[in-house]
Amino acid sequence: MPITATIDTPTAEVEETYAKAEAHFGQVPNFVKVLGNNPAFCKSLTDFMIQALGEGRIPWAFKELIILKTLRATGAYYSYGAHEKLALELGNSPEKIGDTNHSLWRNSPHFTDGERAVFALIEQTAVDPNDVGDEIWDPLHVNYDNGQLLEIASVINTFINIGRMGDTLGVSDPTLFSKPVA
Amino acid sequence: MARLPYIEPEDADPVTAKVYEDATARFEMVLNIFKITGNAPEIAQPMWEIYFNILQEGPTLTWLEKELLILKSTKMGDCLYCVTQHEVVSSRLGVSHEKQQDIVGVEYRKSEHYTPAEAAILDLCGHVVLDPEQIPAEVWTRVKQHYNDAQIVEIVATIGAYLQVSKFGDSLGVELEPVWHGHQPVLFAVEPPTSKASQGHLDHFLAQAPAS
Repeated sequence: MPITATIDTPTAEVEETYAKAEAHFGQVPNFVKVLGNNPAFCKSLTDFMIQALGEGRIPWAFKELIILKTLRATGAYYSYGAHEKLALELGNSPEKIGDTNHSLWRNSPHFTDGERAVFALIEQTAVDPNDVGDEIWDPLHVNYDNGQLLEIASVINTFINIGRMGDTLGVSDPTLFSKPVA
Repeated sequence: MARLPYIEPEDADPVTAKVYEDATARFEMVLNIFKITGNAPEIAQPMWEIYFNILQEGPTLTWLEKELLILKSTKMGDCLYCVTQHEVVSSRLGVSHEKQQDIVGVEYRKSEHYTPAEAAILDLCGHVVLDPEQIPAEVWTRVKQHYNDAQIVEIVATIGAYLQVSKFGDSLGVELEPVWHGHQPVLFAVEPPTSKASQGHLDHFLAQAPAS
């Protein structure tokens, strides 16, 4: 049970945000219902999550692998199962999802050089973001343009935040999307 | 060195230009952390809304309370960029150097500069940064003695957002703007960075000539 109340029936202040969440996710995730205690933050965080969870400059299917790896690398539990389901539904094979674990991705045949470069960034960001050197960034620049790299960095760090918040607040969302995504 | 170009105001698209306008109104300048997000305006706009919510009075916490959480969480992450700027911001809000110094480690627990409410949320902050799985029940009890659910969401959102932006900026190599050169560190003077790379960034920063 979350550490705060779960606002199931939206107040007037969060009605529009809940409607946006329902349109995007097919339901209002419990995370949003906990944020509903604070309308200003409910709106800004929900808007940002909606922006992150969809097709972007990089495919959504790959974003989901970035999210899974980020949650693993930072020891976060919130919504891990939901993102595994999404990763699968968006076309990633179970073998590829499994190979996001620890260092399996380094030698896995399921990943491109570009994807491996991103996983190296995630692991180093989790260990020490002050120490992300040329050996990490050079392969990233070979494989992605500046806008894609900004999006990759944003997805990683957004889910460092979401994972921490969800775990701290004691939220469970075994399923984020109740409607088909692919 | 930043790993992506800073998008200067004259090169910004309309969405980014509006973000810069809002940032300038709030912070008197467009910081490098904003400029780097100009590489993907559709991400920058909703991302910065979260920080505009934080860096102000309310809606349920004081700005000062949020600054304490920002200093604590970003110091624990060795983020020179965030700590430097928020030492200055929190000073402007009335946080003395002595109070800033006592945020390091757990000095705040016995410091005369901190209220029991502030000490409770700093204890929570420390656990959130290190491992939320290990938050003791007594910490929540103390937090709930002083804060309601709306405030707890704002407390956790502030900590989470500053974990996000500090790691985002540091991993992208975002540099402190020259206007900060000459600032004498407070928190890192009490306890140097644990990251060797961050210590290198601090040494480099201290070697810069003060802003004129």
